[in-house]
Amino acid sequence: MMSRLSPLQEKFWPIRCVWLRYFDVYRKNWFYGAVTTFVEPLLYLISFGYGLGKMIGNVESHGVEVTYRQFVFAGVVAQSILFQGFFEAAYGSFVRMYYQKIFKAMASTPITLSEVLWGELLWDATKGTLSAATVLGLGTLTGDFSALGSLIALPLCFLGALLFSSLGLWMAALSETIEQLSYPQYLVVFPMFLFCGVYFPLESLPETLQTLASFLPLTALLSLIRSLTLDFPFQPQAMGVFIFWLVLLLFISRDTMSRRLVK
Amino acid sequence: MRASLEVKNLTKGYTRKGHSPFLAVKGVSFSVNSGEIFGLLGPNGAGKSTTINCLTGFYPPSSGEVLIEGFNVQKEPKKAKQHLGVCSQEDTLDTDFDVLDQMIRYGTFYRMDRFEIVKRARELLSTLGLMDKSNELIENLSGGMRRKLQVARALISNPKVLVLDEPTTGLDPEARRVLWHFLTENRKLGMATLLSTHYMEEAERLCDRIAILFEGKILDLDTPQALIAKHIGTEIIDEEIRPGVFWKRNPNLEDVFLKLTGKSLSGGDL
Repeated sequence: MMSRLSPLQEKFWPIRCVWLRYFDVYRKNWFYGAVTTFVEPLLYLISFGYGLGKMIGNVESHGVEVTYRQFVFAGVVAQSILFQGFFEAAYGSFVRMYYQKIFKAMASTPITLSEVLWGELLWDATKGTLSAATVLGLGTLTGDFSALGSLIALPLCFLGALLFSSLGLWMAALSETIEQLSYPQYLVVFPMFLFCGVYFPLESLPETLQTLASFLPLTALLSLIRSLTLDFPFQPQAMGVFIFWLVLLLFISRDTMSRRLVK
Repeated sequence: MRASLEVKNLTKGYTRKGHSPFLAVKGVSFSVNSGEIFGLLGPNGAGKSTTINCLTGFYPPSSGEVLIEGFNVQKEPKKAKQHLGVCSQEDTLDTDFDVLDQMIRYGTFYRMDRFEIVKRARELLSTLGLMDKSNELIENLSGGMRRKLQVARALISNPKVLVLDEPTTGLDPEARRVLWHFLTENRKLGMATLLSTHYMEEAERLCDRIAILFEGKILDLDTPQALIAKHIGTEIIDEEIRPGVFWKRNPNLEDVFLKLTGKSLSGGDL
């Protein structure tokens, strides 16, 4: 018996169904889920924020002086979004597409492949947001972030996680084997993590590298997060770069995965 | 009887990098009526799975159309697939769930009430002898149990059209018979079943009508008895099964297939 839904619910119900499938798996393995979602950013926070932060003291970036701990806390927010979004989508979706074949199984029901892929991306983005929210919450509790800024940053974190999930899904769609996912991991994700201003101000890099980094999505996301949480000056070009990558990767990832599955 | 599944002049081609385009299905037409088991018989590579992927809406056809309960599967996929249950050739069980949860999860995709799903899932698991495994993880099931579960999952929404792509491959004889009996019972309830198989005995035993598919084309379509009578006749065949050992037997679909294609159902040349 089909339940009655409003037209809007009707539109989003299949995606919600797919999202709930992932949530159910997460809930059933909640301890594993909690460890993988929350522990990693906390370790980075403690190590760099408190450990290195004590040695370094204050840093200046974009004309604003903050403690290194504040600087790194914001960096870890973006880094957790990058790692959670990318790795869950890349490895998780490869397993679901290639080994479990559940994309195809779900698309054999009244749910379409397009909706399956939206559900996948939204779940991966949810995980990234949960991880980022932990760091934002902790930063607010320690007084390093403004509470309002952290709250406003949450939707941005979700969009950021959606962006990096799309990157992960795209890479999964392009990889012939699960081992091939190491290429984007080492050639794209880790360089972004190291050179987009997570642990040091971009101004420390040579100008060419700074320019190059400014076109990367993690730099843009980080700039927006620091604007909201640490009152760094808002950079409109960062918003432009962020939206460009988000729209491009959302389209290209779903299109490539659909082409891989549908002959 | 009315057609629950209609396949009209279906063509499907693939473009492959560095190769010329390959036409896997070449203008296939057939219909499956309510309460009928329709067999798609052919060797590996005949185009059975491509046809099935098109009629489940997963692959867009190059031309032609597929109607499920009157709904075009490409133009109205949700309405069409609401009436469709699919057991694909590959194992697509969701290994993150146990047996019962798997059934429940898939029931929600058809927007069924949870109470209704649980009731239906228990019935199906019980009929297929999987009830005592309902809390087991998929990885703990044998190959035969996994296959039966995949069939059960395809039936969770009580579909009007059931598509089974080589459902008994890898099953032991007993499990195969359980599944045959189950399909026969579902036929009585008015379900239209499309059964793709390369097992001649299975097709002859279960199917009301059979289409012989070879190199993407239907070579002939009729009841098993009519196909045998038309192409082989009714005379007893005296076959030398080992040097000097002769076996008298009735003609069967394998003979029809050999005559029409020059190949055996397992795909080997004569």
